[in-house]
Amino acid sequence: MTDLRLGQRLFGAGEFAVMAIVNRTPDSFFDRGATYATDAAYAAIDQAVADGADLVDIGGVKAGYGEPVSEDEELRRTVDFVAGIRERHPSLVISVDTYRSGVARRVAEAGADLLNDTWAGSDPDLVHAAAEYGTGLVCSHVGGLSPRTDPHRMAYDDVVADVIRTTTGLAERAVAAGVRRDGILIDPTHDFGKNTLQSLELTRRLDELAATGWPVLVAVSNKDFIGETLELPPGRRGNGTLAALSISAWLGARVFRVHDVPAARQALDLIAVLRGTAQPAGTRRSLA
Amino acid sequence: MPVVAAAVCPHPPLLVPEVATGAASELDDLRAACLTAVDGLAGADSVLVVGTGRTGAYDGATGGGFGAYGAPSVRFGSGAPVLPLSLAVGGWLLEQSKAAALPRSYLAVDAVTTPGDALASGRKLAAGEERVGLLVMGDGAPRRSEHSPVHLHPRAEVFDRTVAEALRTADAEVLAALDPGLAGELQAAGRAPWQVLAGALGALQGELLYDAAPYGVGYFVARFS
Repeated sequence: MTDLRLGQRLFGAGEFAVMAIVNRTPDSFFDRGATYATDAAYAAIDQAVADGADLVDIGGVKAGYGEPVSEDEELRRTVDFVAGIRERHPSLVISVDTYRSGVARRVAEAGADLLNDTWAGSDPDLVHAAAEYGTGLVCSHVGGLSPRTDPHRMAYDDVVADVIRTTTGLAERAVAAGVRRDGILIDPTHDFGKNTLQSLELTRRLDELAATGWPVLVAVSNKDFIGETLELPPGRRGNGTLAALSISAWLGARVFRVHDVPAARQALDLIAVLRGTAQPAGTRRSLA
Repeated sequence: MPVVAAAVCPHPPLLVPEVATGAASELDDLRAACLTAVDGLAGADSVLVVGTGRTGAYDGATGGGFGAYGAPSVRFGSGAPVLPLSLAVGGWLLEQSKAAALPRSYLAVDAVTTPGDALASGRKLAAGEERVGLLVMGDGAPRRSEHSPVHLHPRAEVFDRTVAEALRTADAEVLAALDPGLAGELQAAGRAPWQVLAGALGALQGELLYDAAPYGVGYFVARFS
């Protein structure tokens, strides 16, 4: 297991990092525009930091099918905001969820530390932005889908093998392009290009991804595979989310992209102790 | 008359209960309609399953399954499950039907097959000596509604209505005239297989058993005798 360096932070082996989702979108599936406005977005960042987030992930475009967002509009939603966060929280790791190299360069200039390329290199120039600015990079798997499209009958001989092949291939390509090896994460990207059974299989076999040696990021928070499994709408998937997150942590994931920071922090802090990589805060019971 | 009966069915993986898990009952009516249509092939001497996929023929023992969609327990035939989705669903339906015991074979026709080539392969079947039952696998457009798996297309509804009507009336001319360009844009997987059917229909009469798009993808079931 290797060290992961993002911005000013070093995440060692066995350390769990919480990435708080803060969307600058009017239409994302879970928050439905709650942090579209600037003031609300800054407040959400402050709260996430207070709740124990190590990273924030800023998105300017809803992941799924929706209104088109031009590059100019995406820049308008993200660049100044990233600069503002950098000013308010000098050591907070700032990630930006974008698939456009033009946006990647501008947010990196404004202080972003990590480029979360959720659409798996659909813009082949994005990797160069990460190399030029020395940022980290998330290498994803979407089964060949184009940005903002839904999966339709995606088929894999072995979904886990396909994810490993794709994400590690992107990671090696990133290293060859000059991206820092210790800033690269792989993300199985649950639900993207996958049906529910395939996302469940990825969760169940996450140890195989961790065994590649690349740090694994999981983004399971409130996703449809949890909703379909439990037959629950987006607002009621919090407990299922924690279960999927906990299993992922136990199987070796290191960064967790979440909506509910306090819940994730609490679960991960406990799991770190169970795994023996952290000590309890204090054990007095029956010992005095 | 060598093509003695035909059936048309869609091929969503969701038709297989082990793939749909708890949602399986939502397609009970579609599954029942498919089996009614496929049962209609039982009087033939053999069954040919035609569906979309990379062009090629497979013998009746070829393996099919749904592991690629998350249900590895559902398999039939022997060897690796190599049948493309359309033929795998066809084979799976046949297994449960009154035509299960008949000798069978599979034919995949590529989505870019021209109408002329598709019709010609249908006519060739019709000209054969054997009394064949055709199981034709094909979906309408997956672009019927706002909640479709592929973005809504304004022409999807009319295209699918045209197909449904042509199947109901066994109108080979209308099926033969389906435009491959438009069908490609609409991602209607059934176009080429339906045109194979058009070439083979002869004097068979049609009956439409199912015509709906419960998940925004057009599904049709028809039988011809």
